[in-house]
Amino acid sequence: MVLHLKKYFLLYTLVPLLILTVAASYFRFMVSYDYLVSYEGDCDAFSQSCFLYCEDDECTEPLYYSIIERDASALRSICGANADILNCEAASTCQPNDRSCSVTYCDATIDDNCEYVQPTNGAVKISDS
Amino acid sequence: MICYLYPEPTYFFFAKDIPELLYYSHIPATAVALFVGLFVLLNNPKKLLNQLLFLLCLSFSVWTISSLTAWTNINADLLAAIWPLFAIATAFISILSVYLALVFLHKKDVSFSTKLVFFFLLTPVLLLAHTNLNISGFDLATCDAFGYEGLLYKGYYTALGFMAIVWIAIASIQKYRFAKTTEKTQILLMSGGTLLFLALFITTTFVITFFVNIGLLPDSRLEMYGLFGMMFFMTALAVLISKFRAFNVGLLTSQILVFVLTVLVASQFTYSSTTTAFTLKAVTLVLTLAVGLVLIRSIKNDVQQKNEIKKLLKNLEKANARLKFFDKQKSEFVSIASHQLRSPLTAIRGYASLLLEGSFGTIPQKSVEPLSRIDESAKLMALAIEDYLNVSRIEAGNMKYHLADFNLPTEVEHITDDVRANAIKKGLVLYYKKSLHNQGVIHADKGKTIQIIHNLIDNAVKYTVKGTITVLVRDDIKKKKIFVDVIDTGIGMDDKTQDNIFQKFGRADNANSVNISGTGLGLFVAHKMAEAMGGDITAHSKGDDQGSRFTLELPLAM
Repeated sequence: MVLHLKKYFLLYTLVPLLILTVAASYFRFMVSYDYLVSYEGDCDAFSQSCFLYCEDDECTEPLYYSIIERDASALRSICGANADILNCEAASTCQPNDRSCSVTYCDATIDDNCEYVQPTNGAVKISDS
Repeated sequence: MICYLYPEPTYFFFAKDIPELLYYSHIPATAVALFVGLFVLLNNPKKLLNQLLFLLCLSFSVWTISSLTAWTNINADLLAAIWPLFAIATAFISILSVYLALVFLHKKDVSFSTKLVFFFLLTPVLLLAHTNLNISGFDLATCDAFGYEGLLYKGYYTALGFMAIVWIAIASIQKYRFAKTTEKTQILLMSGGTLLFLALFITTTFVITFFVNIGLLPDSRLEMYGLFGMMFFMTALAVLISKFRAFNVGLLTSQILVFVLTVLVASQFTYSSTTTAFTLKAVTLVLTLAVGLVLIRSIKNDVQQKNEIKKLLKNLEKANARLKFFDKQKSEFVSIASHQLRSPLTAIRGYASLLLEGSFGTIPQKSVEPLSRIDESAKLMALAIEDYLNVSRIEAGNMKYHLADFNLPTEVEHITDDVRANAIKKGLVLYYKKSLHNQGVIHADKGKTIQIIHNLIDNAVKYTVKGTITVLVRDDIKKKKIFVDVIDTGIGMDDKTQDNIFQKFGRADNANSVNISGTGLGLFVAHKMAEAMGGDITAHSKGDDQGSRFTLELPLAM
């Protein structure tokens, strides 16, 4: 019996652990949605330093955005089970009572492509782009 | 939740705007690994080495399928859920590679303490895989979790990979130093393949994702090159299996070649674009498979036949060796038994002769006849034993020949004179004739030559009921041969008997009608002796009751 246990020690220990781990991952990410998600949110370039995305070199259609991070479960409760950020207006900003939600604006000291538009002088690029 | 910037895949794995190399690097490597792993396992499921190889291939396949899913799918929950599998699969690949290498090198399972080490190395990876230490979130914009990976956790399971490389290298070098030449090649193939695979896989997956994490690379597409390491490993395994019968799997090189060729052709589909290209690739694949199968079947038949012949040859060699052994045993037994019999017989014959000669006083007349019979029977028995001894000496290769020059006609004449008394007693006429062109000197063993001629004339007397026996000595100067013909008017023999008369125990069917005391060994021994002295004995007869002619042929000493 002892010899048998010694021979199959790894099988008897690692396989249950593996099953438990896979089950725990499934439960965490697909049942309780206990993880953070980040995505691009709204950003007003006149009042905030926004991340800038350009489709082309001339940047004819600049896209300003912030990065929103919140609990996946909270996002699901706002936008529904098949949460699609593009069709969920409420997801693009943080609600005051949503403590898991945070908005990150562009920090010119760290990030590239930040842009802040001064109301009097027009758009000013405040970091390398 | 979905990654909103990417299109939804079709059939789970097929998405637009993905790196061209994705399918080519993932699908063939996974297919080959799964095929080889399963093939080896099914061929010998109880062998630990085969089980470990299968588990290694399975772990690798879990990694590649997870990677393929991560590249093509946009369901964030699903991707976050399979993200821990990268860590688990990588850790298992590392530890299983070590386990496999150690079992391969030492031809036995690892010790319990080594298993404990494996357990303690893997446990943190398994216990923490689903926690924030591994993955805390998911980026819906880039559709990956690189930014949420815990560097400590990732550093740990990557370190397992580098530890595995060092462990395998050290164990292989230690074993290689004291291995035989064929083992050295196997160690090089196995360890080299494993190390190359691990080095490429671990290095690319870690370095590339690290660079992605710190923002040096936009995505992890370069890690795909790391998967080609598995192909090197599989090639090494294929050579090990086909050339060295590793994993106890009988696989032909042709089968491996056809499989590799099929995978290579099939992998062209992974970046097929136009319908024409697709059709051409499909036709090529079908043709490759068809020709490959015919080739395999043909080679398989040849190999099977070759193996059967080898097996038969081996059995034959074994049987032959056993036969030789038994024959030697038999000869030794006969020799020992004959010697044991000869000693008491000498005493019997000696005392019978002394009694008959009156050395122990006058014996009653009525005792003469029984004593004569005792003497005669003992003499026959001694002759039979001498035959057995000669056979045993010939078969054991122990018969000694003392060659010297002597005059054969003179010896033949003496023998004829010696036997004549017996012939006359039976009412036969025994002639001696010669027709010679030289003196008739031969270079042979005198005693054995006399024994042969004595045997031939004696046989003629035994198997002739009435008539004459002629002993003729003649020569052929051109051929440098001398012949002794013993011609009788006796019982003769049919063709079948003539064919077998010089075989061991070969006697004429009608021999017992005139002489029951023959052993069937005299002519065998005489024939062997004549052959050993460069001569021969032949027998001719027109049939039963037509008389016989035995001819001894020996080279002249010229």
